[in-house]
Amino acid sequence: MVVRQYQEELQYLEKISPYSWRIKKGFQPNMNVEGIFYVNQKLEKLMLDELRNACRPGMVGGFLPGVKQIANVAALPGIVGRSVGLPDVHSGYGFAIGNMAAFDVNNPESIVSPGGVGFDINCGVRLLRTNLFEQDVMPVKEHLAQSLFDHIPVGVGSKGIIPMNAKDLEEALEMGMDWSLREGYIWAEDKEHCEEYGRMLNADPAKVSMRAKKRGLPQLGTLGAGNHYAEIQVVDEIFDKWSACKMGIEEKGQICVMIHSGSRGFGHQVATDALVQMEKAMKRDNIETNDRQLACARINSAEGQDYLKSMAAAANFAWVNRSSMTFLSRQAFAKQFHMTPDDLDMHVIYDVSHNIAKVEEHIVDGKPKTLLVHRKGSTRAFPPHHPLIPVDYQVTGQPVLIGGTMGTCSYVLTGTEQGMLETFGSTCHGAGRALSRAKSRRNLDYTDVLRKLEYMGISIRVASPKLVMEEAPESYKNVTDVVDTCHAAGISKKCIKLRPIAVIKG
Amino acid sequence: MADEFTEEELVLPQCKYEYLDHTADVQLHAWGDSLKEAFEQCGIAMYGYMTELDTVEIKQCSDIEATGHDLESLLFHFLDELLFLFSCEPFLICSKVTITEFVTEGEELRIKCKCYGEEFTLGKHPQGTEVKAITYSAMQIVNEPEKNRFEVFVIIDI
Amino acid sequence: MSKRLLNALEYPQADSLNLNDPLTFKKIVVWLESNKIKNAPANTFNALKNINSREWDIVYDKYKDSLGCPALGSRVEELQWLLGHAVQITSSLNRNLYLKYATENMETSNVPVIVAENPLDKLNFRSKEFTDGINDLAKILKIVPHPDPLVTLRAVRKLITKRMAPDCVENPQKYIVNGTPYPIQEAPLGFDLHDPVLNNAANILRMLYIHDLRELQTKANELIVAAQSVTANPKTDTKLGKVGF
Repeated sequence: MVVRQYQEELQYLEKISPYSWRIKKGFQPNMNVEGIFYVNQKLEKLMLDELRNACRPGMVGGFLPGVKQIANVAALPGIVGRSVGLPDVHSGYGFAIGNMAAFDVNNPESIVSPGGVGFDINCGVRLLRTNLFEQDVMPVKEHLAQSLFDHIPVGVGSKGIIPMNAKDLEEALEMGMDWSLREGYIWAEDKEHCEEYGRMLNADPAKVSMRAKKRGLPQLGTLGAGNHYAEIQVVDEIFDKWSACKMGIEEKGQICVMIHSGSRGFGHQVATDALVQMEKAMKRDNIETNDRQLACARINSAEGQDYLKSMAAAANFAWVNRSSMTFLSRQAFAKQFHMTPDDLDMHVIYDVSHNIAKVEEHIVDGKPKTLLVHRKGSTRAFPPHHPLIPVDYQVTGQPVLIGGTMGTCSYVLTGTEQGMLETFGSTCHGAGRALSRAKSRRNLDYTDVLRKLEYMGISIRVASPKLVMEEAPESYKNVTDVVDTCHAAGISKKCIKLRPIAVIKG
Repeated sequence: MADEFTEEELVLPQCKYEYLDHTADVQLHAWGDSLKEAFEQCGIAMYGYMTELDTVEIKQCSDIEATGHDLESLLFHFLDELLFLFSCEPFLICSKVTITEFVTEGEELRIKCKCYGEEFTLGKHPQGTEVKAITYSAMQIVNEPEKNRFEVFVIIDI
Repeated sequence: MSKRLLNALEYPQADSLNLNDPLTFKKIVVWLESNKIKNAPANTFNALKNINSREWDIVYDKYKDSLGCPALGSRVEELQWLLGHAVQITSSLNRNLYLKYATENMETSNVPVIVAENPLDKLNFRSKEFTDGINDLAKILKIVPHPDPLVTLRAVRKLITKRMAPDCVENPQKYIVNGTPYPIQEAPLGFDLHDPVLNNAANILRMLYIHDLRELQTKANELIVAAQSVTANPKTDTKLGKVGF
C-alpha cells in the first residue's frame, strides 16, 4: 500500500457527479483501468472517513479501506471498463464487498479470483409473494413466525431436514434447481423466475473436494447464521406501479416472504480450497497483485477452470438450498392458513445472486465482448428486453432484490439501460456494514435491540442473542441511502419497498 | 464414545484470547507462553465464537493433523481442520485442544493435535456465530522467544 | 422498392426508369396488365393501351378499382400496390414449382408423392365476391378488415378457433385472459429509431415477440409439471435436524 497523507490521497479522487466519484490511476500502483464508486452525501462521508482512518500515522498492517481495495482490483490483469464500487461498499477479503469487476475472457492474461466472489458463493435473496394482506396476518403473526422457525433449520450447527445421501448431493450439485424440481420440492414457475434458471450448466461436482461435500451434505436446506434470514414482509410503498404489477404486487399491505441465504459450508470450503490452489498458480504463472488476498489464476489455466466449475456447483447448491427453504416456507404458511400454497399464490417473484462470477456478453467501447463478470456483494441488474431475463420481466427489466438488515426495510428495484452501460448491469446488494461486529457487541445491548424491534411491531425468532447485537440495524449503513443512491445514479430503478413484520435468524 | 479421560485432560486452560474489531468479520487475537500455546488458544477462540464454551463438556476426543509450508499456512490449515471437525461428522465443539506434536522447522511444518469436547447439540449449546472460513487476511504471527512474546492474529470470515 | 419488384417481374431495363414520369407509369400499367395481371376485359385493356388518350385516367381509375386497389395518396403508391399484386399473382401461379424446390431436400427419391388437393385452393381469392364475403364476416366479428382479404381471413380464423370453440362458448371465463393492461407506449424500447411511428411499430413487434415467448415458456412449464407427476416425491424428516425451540 502506498503510504500518503490523507490530503494527498484525495488528489486521486474526483467527484464526477452528485452520486459518483472517479478513482484515478496512480491511487494504487499498476492500475490498468480507473475505479468508480457511487455514493450520496451520507455514504460519501463514511467512505472517506474509512480512508482518513487508514491514513492516520501508526496504522500499519491493519485493514485496507474499501476505496483502496477497489483500486487494487483495477490493477488486476485483464480487467476492462472500470472497477466499480456500489453504494454499500465496505472493506472485505481482497475485493471490497460491493465491488464489481469484469475481465475479458479472450485476453489470455485475464484472471478469475475467488476473492471477487466471496466465501459464501451464490449468497442471494429470494422473494415469494402471497395473496394475503397485513390484516390477514396480524392476528396470527406470532404463530406464523414460530411456524416458520419450526420449519426452517437456522443458526450454527443446525442440520437440514430434507433427507439426502451422498448420491443425492452429487446430483443436486450438477442439476441445481432442476434437482429440486425433479424431486417435487418446487414449482416449474420457480425455475422460470430465477437467475440462470437456477442451474449453472458448467458445474462439475468432480472438481469439488470431498471436504466440501462432507461439510455441505448435513447443511443443505438450512438458513445459516450471520446476516442470513427469512422474513415475513409487507409491501410498504410502490414506486413503479406497472413493474410491481408485473411481479404480482398489486397493493400496499400485501404479504411477501424474503429468504436470504447462500451455499453454506459447501461454498465456504470450495472458496477456501480454491484460494490455496491459486496461491500456487500465482507463483507459477508470475501473476503480480497489489495484495496477497487477491489470490487469482488465469481464466484459462487448470486452476481457473476448476474453480469456475466448482463455483458453479456451489451456486447450484445455493439454489437447491433456497428452494428447500421455499418448500418449507410454503408448508409453514399452508399449515397456518389451512390453504394450499397454490391457493395462497406463493409464487417466486425472483431470485438473485449477489456473490458470483459469470460469463456474460457486454458492449465495451462499442464492440461486443465476452466478459467474466465478478459480482461480490453486488447484484445483477439487467435492463428491459435483455435475453437472459424471464419473459414476464422483459418490459420491466430484471427485478433486483435488496435485502435490508434485521428490522429495516428491503427493496425491489429493476435493472436499467444506463446500469448496463455504466456498471455492466450491476447494482448494490444490501445495506453493507458500518460498525464492526465487536463494536456492535460492545456498544449495543441485546435486550434493547429486541425491545426496539418489538416496539416496531416486528416478531423475532433468533437462535443466537449475540447475533442480535451484531446484526442490529445500527451496525449497518442505511439501506434507504444505498437504494436511493442507485436510483438517483440511474443504475437501477426503485420499484417496491417492503417492511418486515417477522424475522427468523440464525 | 466411551472415552475415559484423565483428570489432567479434563482441566481447561486459562483464557488467553480476545476478539478484535473488523468491519464485516472478526479478528482473533491469541497469545501464550509458547507459540504452541498461542496456536491452541487461537483454536479455542474460534470455538468460543460459535457457542458459550462453559456449556461444553469433555466427552470425546478426536485427533487431527495439519501441515504447512510456513507458519502462516500451518496456522491456516490447523484452524481449517478444527472448523472441519465441527462442520460435519463428528460435529465436535471443543473446549480444549492440546497440540501433541509441533514441528515448526524444516521443509514441511506439522501439527498433531488432540481435540476435547462433545457433539454440538442444539438446545444444550447456545448458537453463536457461524464461521465460514479462515483467511490469510492481515494474519500475523509474533514468534519472539527472546522477548517471550508469542501472539497470533487471524481474521475469520463470518 | 418498386424497382426491385419490377426487376423481379423481369420488366425490361427496370433500373434506369424514372417512375415519376407519367408516361413511364402508363407504360408499366399496360405492361403489367398484358403480361402479369391479365384481368381486364378486352375493351378496358384496349382503352388502357391508348396511353395518349385524354380518357386514360378515367379508364385507369376504373381498372384499378376492379382489381381491389384501396384508395391511396399518389400514383407512386398505386404503382407499388399494382406491382405487389402482380408479384402475388405470378408467385401463386408458380406455387407448385416453388413448393417443389422447397421440399426437394426433404424428400427421399422413392417416397411416393401424394399431391394434397385442397378444394379451397381452387377458390378465386381475388374475386369481389370473396372479398365482400370476408369483409362482411369480419364486420360481424368486429374485426377491422385488412386490404388483403387473405389477411382478414387469417384474423377471422384465429378468432373463431380461439374463442368460438364449443367449450369456450360455454365457459368463456376459462379463456378470457385476466391480465392487467400494461401501458406499452411507456415501456422502454431499448433503442430509438428516431421516428415515433417506427418506434411504435417496433414496440408492437416486441410485444408480439414477448407474447410468443410467454406461450413457449408456458408449454415448457407444462412439460416440467408432466414430468414431475412421475418423479416427484418430496419429503421431510424432522429427526434429521432440530427446528424451532
